[in-house]
Amino acid sequence: MRIVLDRPRCEGHGLCEEAAPQLMHLDDEGELVLDREEVDGADAALANAAARVCPVAALRVA
Amino acid sequence: MTKPPTSDVDLFADDVLLDPFQAYAELREQGPVVHLRKNDVYALTRYDVIRGALADWESFSSASIAFNPTANEALTGTSLASDPPAHTQLRAALTENLSPRALRGLKGRIETKADTLVAELVERGSFEAVDALARAFPLEVVADLIGFTGHVRDNMLRWGQAAMQVLGPMNQRTAENFPVAGELYAWCSAVRADDLAEGSVGRGIFEAEARGAIPPDTAGHIIHQYLGAGVDSTIAAIGNIVALFARHPDQLALVRADPSLVPAAFNEVLRFWPPINAWGRLATRDVDIDGTVVPAGAQVAVLLGSGNRDPRHYDDPDAFLVTRNPVDHLAFGYGPHGCAGQGLARLEAHAVIEALSRRVGRLVAGPEVRVPSNTTRSIEELPVLEVIPA
Repeated sequence: MRIVLDRPRCEGHGLCEEAAPQLMHLDDEGELVLDREEVDGADAALANAAARVCPVAALRVA
Repeated sequence: MTKPPTSDVDLFADDVLLDPFQAYAELREQGPVVHLRKNDVYALTRYDVIRGALADWESFSSASIAFNPTANEALTGTSLASDPPAHTQLRAALTENLSPRALRGLKGRIETKADTLVAELVERGSFEAVDALARAFPLEVVADLIGFTGHVRDNMLRWGQAAMQVLGPMNQRTAENFPVAGELYAWCSAVRADDLAEGSVGRGIFEAEARGAIPPDTAGHIIHQYLGAGVDSTIAAIGNIVALFARHPDQLALVRADPSLVPAAFNEVLRFWPPINAWGRLATRDVDIDGTVVPAGAQVAVLLGSGNRDPRHYDDPDAFLVTRNPVDHLAFGYGPHGCAGQGLARLEAHAVIEALSRRVGRLVAGPEVRVPSNTTRSIEELPVLEVIPA
């Protein structure tokens, strides 16, 4: 499975990073960086949790 | 597809505005969508349906976020009332200076302000928490942020309250508040960079307009939205924090023992008592919701406060539990129109909760005074009779 970021929609709320710090982080500029895009197993569950908490629906797992 | 069930609940009756949760429970039991005869709206009542509708801007347009046509007409062309693709650029202009990214530098200042204010109140021992904290703190933060000075600062509270009231149906509250909301609109239409303090975010919005980063003549609209949306709602949230901690000393004790619960506590305050309980949408087509139809052209009421209490989604939803951490609550809405100011709201509320949990052992409060209001459910007066310091 793949994490897909809608970059223009991301406003840097950072809730995804709290849900899945192993997979993504906000850089020094507050821009989201996906450290991993391909995920499976337990990581896929984390990615789904991160997508779920995004308040502006900028993340999805496809 | 069949017609949804109907109900005589009036979302804007005084008793429902003061305490909507019993009415919401009844509506949720009737179905995920219920036609409210008295308001002529289709109410979305359950968590999944609400979250789905907020994500689905193609079926549920923001062209009627208010419950009267005059307010919807006045909002035309703002990001609040637009749909993609027009919405995308308007939203970007709005959040350019408001996103958590833009606000990162403010955290320390906001925390210091909250701590200073809470320390003073603890020292005083008894105070009226709405004026002294819930209003004083966000008014100061937003005024300093946008760079308001002079008479604007003095008008922020009534302008902000009126901007929310006029989103209701055309009842007496709405009619009385239109002239006041008009003062805000007129001021925002005429405001220039020089009217705002140097170095403020408000000035930054005009600079963004001057360099073409946002469309011409949008700076005033954006300032209007900061004031209209960012004052009354945050005041409600902070008043609710104080009241809920006073009512639930065990929950305050949990946050005191584990400060990492601060964000979870704020999520639970917003889930339990959202500042805004009902928000409008317009059905653009016949929409099938679990086999019942919301007809094209219908005014929809998205019951955020009902979704937040839906037992299909949250266990024991009528309990206030700071360890629950409902990160997916609906109080900020969700999706493309999710509250643009939520980053600032979190900075402010987290600072208040941190300060309270550090400095207060227990709060003894008298009864809350509430006044019905069309859009924002907030406490009007909350006497704190005694503070047992930490």
